[in-house]
Amino acid sequence: MVLNVFRWSPGARERLQKYWVKARQGMTVLDALVELQRGTDPTLAFRYACRVGMCGSCGMVINGRERWACRTLLSRLSRGPVTVRPLYHFPLIRDLVVDMAPLKRKMLEMKAVFVPGRRATENDGFAQVGSRTRERRAIDASIECIGCGMCVSACTMVSHDARFPGPAALNRVFNLQRDSRDGAHADRSKAVLAEDVLTRCHGQANCTAVCPMEISPADSILALRRRAVLRLFGIGPR
Amino acid sequence: MSARRADPVRDRKVLTRRLGSAEAWRDTKAGMWAWLLQRIAAVGLLAVIVLHLKNPFMRPVQAALLALVLLHGLLGVRTILLDFGLPARWHRLLFLLALLAGAATFAAFWRWRWY
Repeated sequence: MVLNVFRWSPGARERLQKYWVKARQGMTVLDALVELQRGTDPTLAFRYACRVGMCGSCGMVINGRERWACRTLLSRLSRGPVTVRPLYHFPLIRDLVVDMAPLKRKMLEMKAVFVPGRRATENDGFAQVGSRTRERRAIDASIECIGCGMCVSACTMVSHDARFPGPAALNRVFNLQRDSRDGAHADRSKAVLAEDVLTRCHGQANCTAVCPMEISPADSILALRRRAVLRLFGIGPR
Repeated sequence: MSARRADPVRDRKVLTRRLGSAEAWRDTKAGMWAWLLQRIAAVGLLAVIVLHLKNPFMRPVQAALLALVLLHGLLGVRTILLDFGLPARWHRLLFLLALLAGAATFAAFWRWRWY
């Protein structure tokens, strides 16, 4: 099987390098890359950690779609050469490795960090949100983000507007705004009402389509928008 | 005026999908097509409305106007429904329904000659 792998290092020109891999049953794209690195080309750079679809480190663009390399079987991809690129919209470090720092920076800019409120410090610092509560059900679907960055790579608006926080940060904001233990709802409300935040999302749901954890950041953003509209009329929560 | 000094973080290479490359369009999702079609219909409408105002009785222009209005409007309804809380996982179904409803309305309306 032919793999066209994106190659680039600082100072060099980007190119797609062609490799041949003997595809075996059950072989994933990550297996193929590891085999290439151990055999044909030790200079090939890519990132991975758990290899079992938990950590999200091996997020790449495979045949035009964001996927984790460790869970993508070569046999499941369409016939023909497999193209492997690094995630879009992140600064390149080398080959398939990108710098994930912007993901964290956007979260901090959006104040997407838990700030303990009064309720969180009651009962010696333990405040529970029951698994059957409405609050918990509302965030259950969006709480499992592993920070792989695939949604940011798939989002077209991220590439057009550098100030748009992106789906991952807004999904996190949604979680925190629904968390009754959090004490920064008001600050975060102001942040999401800025010009380049909620209104910038065009609802294409590319983020939802590629999320390996089956989270729907598009739903989170739409929910934040509805809350923002209700607040305009003075009838909604922050 | 001196040139801006290179910033090792800000000036790093960032890849984006290039409109002209087939690779970038290879896995375009339904939501993106819906968004794109609605925008293309809007731009098309601007041209067709001008032609329609010049001569309202040209059948091909009437057909284009009806088709574009239906496409743009029904995709807009899809967006509104999602905005109002229908789950985003329904967006492909809503896209399909908008296209089918548009085609059916066009066919029904076009068969009905009112003059």
